[in-house]
Amino acid sequence: MNSGNAAVKQRMTIAEALNRAHHQLLESGADVIVIGEDIVGGAGLSEAMAADELGGVFGVTAGLAARFGTDRVIDTPISETAIVGMAVGAAMTGLKPIVEIMFCDFIGVCFDQILNQAAKVRYLSGDRIAMPLVIRTTMGAGDGSGAMHSQSLHGLLASIPGLQVACPATPADAAGLLKSALLCLDPVVLFEHKGLYASEGDVDAELPAVPLGRGRYVREGRDITLVAVSAMVTEAEKAASLLADEGISIDLIDPRTIQPLDSKLILSSLKKTGRLLVVDEGAAFAGFADAVLALASTQAFADLKSAPAKITPPHTPVPYGRALEAGWLPNAEDIVLKVREMLHG
Amino acid sequence: MQNVQTLYSKACFIRAFEQEIADAADHGLVPGLLHLCTGAELVEAAICTELSGPADQVCGSHRSHGLALAMGADPVKVAAEILGREDGLSGGRGGTQHLLASENGFLTSNGIVGGQVPIAAGAALSAKLGARGGIAVVFFGDGAANQGAVLETMNLAVALHLPLLFVLENNGLGQSTAASFSSGNVDLLTRAEGFALPVMRMDGFDANCCLDGARASVAQMRSSGGPMFIEASTARLSGHYHGENAAYLTLSAPAIDPLAALASLLPEQPRSEIAAAAARRAKEAVAAAILIPELQP
Repeated sequence: MNSGNAAVKQRMTIAEALNRAHHQLLESGADVIVIGEDIVGGAGLSEAMAADELGGVFGVTAGLAARFGTDRVIDTPISETAIVGMAVGAAMTGLKPIVEIMFCDFIGVCFDQILNQAAKVRYLSGDRIAMPLVIRTTMGAGDGSGAMHSQSLHGLLASIPGLQVACPATPADAAGLLKSALLCLDPVVLFEHKGLYASEGDVDAELPAVPLGRGRYVREGRDITLVAVSAMVTEAEKAASLLADEGISIDLIDPRTIQPLDSKLILSSLKKTGRLLVVDEGAAFAGFADAVLALASTQAFADLKSAPAKITPPHTPVPYGRALEAGWLPNAEDIVLKVREMLHG
Repeated sequence: MQNVQTLYSKACFIRAFEQEIADAADHGLVPGLLHLCTGAELVEAAICTELSGPADQVCGSHRSHGLALAMGADPVKVAAEILGREDGLSGGRGGTQHLLASENGFLTSNGIVGGQVPIAAGAALSAKLGARGGIAVVFFGDGAANQGAVLETMNLAVALHLPLLFVLENNGLGQSTAASFSSGNVDLLTRAEGFALPVMRMDGFDANCCLDGARASVAQMRSSGGPMFIEASTARLSGHYHGENAAYLTLSAPAIDPLAALASLLPEQPRSEIAAAAARRAKEAVAAAILIPELQP
């Protein structure tokens, strides 16, 4: 490779990468619009107050309205059903909406418009009508937000035919998956982890698109395959470093996309390691972790040297108190203990 | 008088189409239940006459065969879709409650009561940003009027100043439940006024009222660029679904037929000629659809 052509790398956070990707997307066509609650901020207050954009509660959309106008960067009343439905209709009639749902817990409010409307339009139209709709939302516990602002519902959404679902863990993937999502003919739900917005990484300045449905190797090893997405990738990386000191080498895969899942990548890893541990912050029952376990046990049974296993939070709402919440979340130590048990019994 | 005749022709065609489809269902040719629009033809055809797809887009409820036809969707394709046949609008994947013909300005019907209403706001947003003078129109029933999605959208359309015409078709019954019960006897037009929507009452049994109201409201919307709300009285001449034979149907007042009221405004000729031509076209469309095979898995 000619090093002269190497992309310029910049260090930035996930929030910054997403903000820049929004700028690029809004620049790319007048049909791209952004809709959400408080995504500009200060709507209806004096212009002086609105000038310093809130940009959503995590600041991801700050500065977009100043540049692209409030016709295209639209603050709405608190009406998740109406705004997701409006975005569905807009996508059916030529626009490319990016909708922000502040917390994925609020998907409970607008589930009909996602489950019955957005997800089904392309199929019910006999493929005549595409649904270039992106729903950005947040997931994850760890910040004391309690049971209605901390869930991780990626598995639930991924179980709905017609939806694509991704959970980026790095700045490059957050920006790159957002770009692919807007080009996708199906609606895509992007789950951004609240605890990762400030997490930094090196990113190509052009923020290249990252294909949906393709996972990545975080590190390669031979003893056991670890599958994790979103903030659990960080925990898995920590665990992998600790285990490396014990001579255990981890094949760590971040599928990035939940639906469609990069089964090929996981199965090829299992061929090598014969052991699988899935770590996920989502549902303990019928969630993403179970989907990966089902994949392994139905498609890679002959490769498996031991029963595939998972670590998820318990099957309860997310607790509030610091100790309770920390105990509820899977962490690196849980992973280390589980891997030791799986390898040494 | 010309407008009344045209309306009669459109309404007769929709009525005849529904009858042909109902006959097909009685012969076992429809996979599921049918929700017919009989009794709402005047309101729907009058308003759609003022619209032109694809710049204008209409969304409807589960009872939307007539709206798709009124916007100009190919009747054979509509019938084939309802019958689940491969040349249907969507190859038979959607069916009676999921008709999509946005090419003609009929964006979508819906299997969820009120589910189409927020979607229509999106079509209105596209019209607004596209600045091509189009509007969106959403039809929903008195049953949907109490759904959160509908009430949220009424507010959103005002807050964002969207060119969205809400048409509440009040036939007095949401499935088996009286509209008066569902809304606590509140006048639904008054409720819309509470959202600061400009409102209009439309007598869906009076053809001239439908025609005049449709013309005035659509014209007002094209010039204001903002939302409006019509409460139209209609009849539900069938059960909740075709063939329903539940006890509650005997408790509601016998519905007057708006189409018969319209017919009485016209002289015998061209009335019977128009009706016969509409019946013939409907029969041909459904007969053609019946010959189309089902899409195989």
